[in-house]
Amino acid sequence: MGFSYKMRLILVCLGIFVMAWVGFLFKSLLLPDSFGLYGHFRADAITEAVEVPVRHGTNSSCFKCHPFEAKIHKAGLHSTISCEFCHGPYADHVAVDKKTGTLPVKTGKQITTLCLRCHNTQIMARSEEVIKTVAMPDHLRNQQVKLTHDCNQCHHVHAPLKYINRAKQITGLMEKG
Amino acid sequence: MNTALASTAFASDSIGSATMLLSNYVFPNDLHVHWSMMIVLYPYITGLVDGAFIIAALYYLFGVKSLRPVARFSLLFALAFLCCATLPLLLHLGRPERNFNMLLTPNPSSAMAGFGYIYAVSMGVLGFIILLVYRPVLVELRSTSQGWLKVLYRVITLDSIDVSEKALELDAKIIRFLVAIGIPVAAVLHGYVGFIFGGVKANPTWSTPLMPVIFLFSACVSGISAVILAYIVIRKLADQPIDHGCIITMVKTLTGFFILAFSFEMLEVFSHSYLKSGYHHMVEGLLNGPLASSFWFWQVKIGSVLPLLVLGIMGIFKLRSYLYNFLAAGVSGILLVQVLIMRWNVVIGGQLMSKSARGYTEFHPLWFDKEGIIAVIIVMAIPFAILFVLGKIFPFWAPENK
Repeated sequence: MGFSYKMRLILVCLGIFVMAWVGFLFKSLLLPDSFGLYGHFRADAITEAVEVPVRHGTNSSCFKCHPFEAKIHKAGLHSTISCEFCHGPYADHVAVDKKTGTLPVKTGKQITTLCLRCHNTQIMARSEEVIKTVAMPDHLRNQQVKLTHDCNQCHHVHAPLKYINRAKQITGLMEKG
Repeated sequence: MNTALASTAFASDSIGSATMLLSNYVFPNDLHVHWSMMIVLYPYITGLVDGAFIIAALYYLFGVKSLRPVARFSLLFALAFLCCATLPLLLHLGRPERNFNMLLTPNPSSAMAGFGYIYAVSMGVLGFIILLVYRPVLVELRSTSQGWLKVLYRVITLDSIDVSEKALELDAKIIRFLVAIGIPVAAVLHGYVGFIFGGVKANPTWSTPLMPVIFLFSACVSGISAVILAYIVIRKLADQPIDHGCIITMVKTLTGFFILAFSFEMLEVFSHSYLKSGYHHMVEGLLNGPLASSFWFWQVKIGSVLPLLVLGIMGIFKLRSYLYNFLAAGVSGILLVQVLIMRWNVVIGGQLMSKSARGYTEFHPLWFDKEGIIAVIIVMAIPFAILFVLGKIFPFWAPENK
């Protein structure tokens, strides 16, 4: 190693260039083949995304076989809620227009839990005007019903005010205007 | 939540749109502060690097002779913190190893990739400056050291013991060249950190072209303060004399940068309240509500006005050297905290308001959390550990009698 000091510095500079070059080499080795074909992403990702089986349908796909529920649901306050939101994914129930499985039916306290997912006052970041929220069991106490009541004992799950409005009509308590 | 409501109520009194602010309507995705304390540390640490480098640059490039006692130390100080500059970022990430993906496929629409490259360049430049500045010392140490330390010295001196006048002249030229590159690189490194915040269009407190400038000047303030404090503390602990002329020059430089930093910080608030653009009511509500104590009391009154008065006294009156040094250490300490609070107010404060423009959220730091207080203390301790190790290899202080 009889290099002069100046020569050593030049060798260090050369070393940096070589390292940069090796860096670019590594980059080309590490990059997926289809990267940059269409834009700043891996083009194969599109094909892979297309091949992912569809799990969710739309409300109209459910309504094709469930006209009774459809009629109530469309008329109620929950008309904009997706069926799958409470019942589970379409793909677990139907495949190629054939029934393949039964979606789990919520009962008892499961229903209350499900309702409170949206209607809980504890969820602070939500305007009262958008979704009516309640605190449990205050709501049951205020309505003077048993504290063991589940939500669906007063509210129809597809059209929450269906029974309540009907009851008010029958008892003549329908508010004027 | 009650305190937030109370403070927003207080805020609304001062700007007169009580009904809007009292609703405290926060979007669900704004409730949680996503960029928490690690992202506060990130600009803080890069800022310390920047300021310390300025001190070294003043000596090596602009020939400010009085800074000789701290010039080498400030380079090592900058390196110790630069080694940890990306640590808080990586700790913040859920999958830290994915940062390489960003660097492999840099995208002009991603500001963070740019930071990665600027960081790498500044690390290289600073490393070479230190090696060349220390070369004569390292060659000397090589002959007196034993074992692995000798091997290390051989490697970092490029296995050359040539300290002839010609070689040292060449070194001096390269150092000047590297420092000349280093200043813009350091400025870009930290200006870019400011830009990363300033470039977030969705956040009205961040989205201002002043942000990089404010970050840059406050970075210089924190770095110079850190060097002053570290110099005084280390020398005192080691029972070595403190160079008074050096302290005076550093305090004067600090005063200059601090006046600029504080002016720009206030100018930003002033332009927000005068222009009354877009979300000005939210920004005003934020500064007078959730940030009332941490911004107006701690950052402005205690952290800025008080040091400004003390620095004024130090500049105008002729003080005894021990009192001057004591005040210099005190002011530096306060300014170090001020810059940390400023980073807090920008990073966390900026996220306390919801995009709904109708409500504020809260942030409570946790002790035991990935980004908690203990983690912050550990991350801030690592650069000092590195500095300690560096001190064993590179002597901090230049010999007295040259």
